[in-house]
Amino acid sequence: MQEKEKLAPHVDDINRALNGKLSEEQIEEELRTYTERYGVPLGSAKRSIVKKYEGDPQELYVSTEKAIEDIEGDEQGLNLKCRIVSINEKEIEVDDEPKQIWYGILGDDTGTIPFTLWEEPSLELEKGDTVKIENAYANTWNDKPQINIGSKASLKEIDSEEVPEFDREAQKLELKDLRENMRNLDITARVTSIERKLVNGQDDKEKELYSGIIADETGKAQFSAWHDFGISEDDVIRVKGGYVRSWRGIPQFSFDDSAEVEFLDGDELPLTEDLEDVSVYTISDLAKRGGAVDAIVDAVMIDIKSGSGLIFRCPECRRVIQKGACRVHGKVDGEPDLRVKGILDDGTGALTVIMNRELTEEVLSYDLDKAMDTAKDAMNQEVIRDDVEEKLIAQPLKVKGNITSDDYGLMLVADDVEYKSIDVEKEAREMLDEVRV
Amino acid sequence: MSMISREVAWRVFAREFNDSDLMIESEDDRSPSYLVTPLGAKINRVYLVGVLTECENIGTDEEPMWRARVTDPTGTYFVSAGQYQPEVATTLANMEPPIFVAVVGKANTYEPDEETFLTSVRAEMIKEVDEEQRNIWILEAARSLKNRLEIAMEASKMEDISVEELVNLGFEEKLAEGFKKASEHYGELTFEKYDRMLEDSLRYVLPEYESQTIEDIEKESKTEEEGDEELEELIVDLVSEFEEKEGLENGVEYERVKEKVMEEKDLTQEKFEEVVNNLRSDGRLYEPVLGNLKVIG
Repeated sequence: MQEKEKLAPHVDDINRALNGKLSEEQIEEELRTYTERYGVPLGSAKRSIVKKYEGDPQELYVSTEKAIEDIEGDEQGLNLKCRIVSINEKEIEVDDEPKQIWYGILGDDTGTIPFTLWEEPSLELEKGDTVKIENAYANTWNDKPQINIGSKASLKEIDSEEVPEFDREAQKLELKDLRENMRNLDITARVTSIERKLVNGQDDKEKELYSGIIADETGKAQFSAWHDFGISEDDVIRVKGGYVRSWRGIPQFSFDDSAEVEFLDGDELPLTEDLEDVSVYTISDLAKRGGAVDAIVDAVMIDIKSGSGLIFRCPECRRVIQKGACRVHGKVDGEPDLRVKGILDDGTGALTVIMNRELTEEVLSYDLDKAMDTAKDAMNQEVIRDDVEEKLIAQPLKVKGNITSDDYGLMLVADDVEYKSIDVEKEAREMLDEVRV
Repeated sequence: MSMISREVAWRVFAREFNDSDLMIESEDDRSPSYLVTPLGAKINRVYLVGVLTECENIGTDEEPMWRARVTDPTGTYFVSAGQYQPEVATTLANMEPPIFVAVVGKANTYEPDEETFLTSVRAEMIKEVDEEQRNIWILEAARSLKNRLEIAMEASKMEDISVEELVNLGFEEKLAEGFKKASEHYGELTFEKYDRMLEDSLRYVLPEYESQTIEDIEKESKTEEEGDEELEELIVDLVSEFEEKEGLENGVEYERVKEKVMEEKDLTQEKFEEVVNNLRSDGRLYEPVLGNLKVIG
C-alpha cells in the first residue's frame, strides 16, 4: 500500500481538476484501485480518473516522478530526479535569430537519456549536479526517447543522495538473443560491413549514421551507430550501452554517443567468412525473435502458392495482374516475370518464402524467354508453376535471406537457394549411437 | 505481436499417429483442432513420405473420394482426398502404386462409436518422390521422435509433470505442454515400444538393414506374436464370411466384427484394435468406407 502522505498531493491535484465532483476519500479509493489493484502507473491513473469523471486532464498540475528507464517517448508533464551525466552548449537558429541551447545526458539509477534544454536555465548546471526537473516532456528521436526541458519546465538543485548512482551493469548478450526494446546492452561482435550515410535529423540538419552488419558466433544483426566512433569493416568491437529497435520484426542493434565502444583484438572472434555459417535458425526460433537479417533456414518446401512460376506485372506499379488487368491501373500490357511463393517447413514451424526471377530461373534451369515459349506452346502459364513444384516440393533446401514478420506470419525473401545434401547413412548412425547410450 | 502463424507440418511415424485417440477440437472457427499422440505431438498438419501401396476412388468421377495407403517403416497412413482437394485427387488418379510419395495433409479422425477411434490424413498435397527423399524423411521423423522420447524420459522422473521444469531443461514449451496433455489422457505409458521403433526406423535406412531385420523378425514373431496369428486368421475369416454371405461390397461394419470376435475369444478391446491395425498395415484388411472392414484380394 502506498502511504497516504505520498498520495495526498495527487488526490488534491485530482480534486482540483475535477472541481470537487468526488470526495477526497472517493478519489483516494479510485487511485488505489488503479495503481495497486491494476498496476497502472500513477500518471496514467490520474489522467484516467479525471477523464472518467469528465474533467480535463490538462488541469492536472502535480505530475509524477518517473524513472528514466520507464520513459518511452511522447509524454507530457514529466517529473524526474536525476544526475547530469554530460552537458554541452550550442547555438542554433530559430526564425533567423541565433539562440543558445544546452544538450547532454541525464541519468538516474535506472538508466540514461539524452536531453535538450531550450531556455537559459535558472541555475548554473554542471556535469555531476543532481536536479529535480518538473513539467518536462519527452519525444522520440532516432526511435529513442529524449527529454525536452522547455519554458514551462522548472529546475531545482537537490541533494545528491536523492539520486542513487547508476550502478546497473550493461546486460551481456549474444546476437541471437536480441529482442525488441532492449536497453543498456553489452555486445561483442565483428563488423562484417559498414557504410556511412547522411540522414535528415532534427531541424532538417543532416546527421551522420554508420550502419551495417555485425556478427558473433550465434548470429548476425544490423546495427546503427549515431556517432562516428571510427569503426571500420572487420573490427571486433565491444559496445556497452546499446539498445534494440525493430524494423518489421528484425531486431537492429543501435548505439549513440552515450555508449562506450571498445576495440578488441581481431582474434577475439572468428573471421567474417567463418561467421557466415553461424546464422542458421530454426523457424520456431525465428517466430520467437520476429525476424533476422542474412539468416539461413534449413527446411523442406511443402507448398507452392498460386502466383508462382510465370506471372505478369503491371508496368506502372509492378503489382501482379490477373487476366490482363491490374487492381489499380485496370487493363494494362503485363510484363512477364518469374517468381516463387512457397511454404518452407522445418518441423518446428513454417514460413512464406519468396524467390525472385534470377533464383527461379536457377531452380527451373531455364530462363524467362524459354518459360514464355513453353507457356505459349501449352497455352497455359500454369505449366511453369507445375515445373516449379516438380523441382522444389518435398525438397530439403538451404535458403538464405532476410526474414521479416507481420500479421500474416514470417516471410523470407531469398538471396540464395541451395538443395541441401544430407548424408543419411552418417546421420542415422550418429543418431543410433546417441540412442543406444 | 499477434501473428497468424501457419500450423507446422509434423514429421511423425505412422504407428505413433495411429496410436493416438485424443482429439482437441477447435473452440471457435479460427482455432485449429489437434490430434495429440501418446508422446505429446499436437498435430494439426503432417508431412510424411512413404510408399504408396494402394489408391482407389470410392466416390464418383464427379465427386471423387480418394483413399490411399502410404506405409513407412512403422505402419500405414490412411490418406484421403475428396472434391475439395481437386489437385490431390487428380494427381492420385494418375499414380500407379507402388511408388514413393510425399504427402502434406491435416490430421483427421473418425469415431464410428464411443470405443472406436480411427485416424487418417486429409491430403493437401501429394507428390511422387524418390527413395533418397524418403530416407531423409525417416531421419527427420526419427529426430522428432527422439526429442519427444527425451521429454518422456525427463517427465518420468517427475512426480507431477511440470511444463515449467521441462522448459527449464531446454525443451520447447509447446512440446512440454503437449506431453503434459498426453500424459493426462493416456496415463502412464511405457515407451519401450517407441524406443524400439526409433532404433528400427534408423536401421531401416542403413545398407545392412535387410540381413539384420530378417533375424529380428524371426525372433519377434516367435516370442511376441504367436497368439496373434491365430487371431488374425480368425478376423480375416470372419470378415470374408460376412462379405460372402451378405454380398457386402463395401465391407463389414467394424463393430459387428468386433462383437463377434469378442464373443468367441477372450480378449480386450485394445488387443482387438491392435490386431486389426496390424492387419491393415500388413495389407490384408482395408476400409472401403470409414468404419467398415474389407478383405483385400
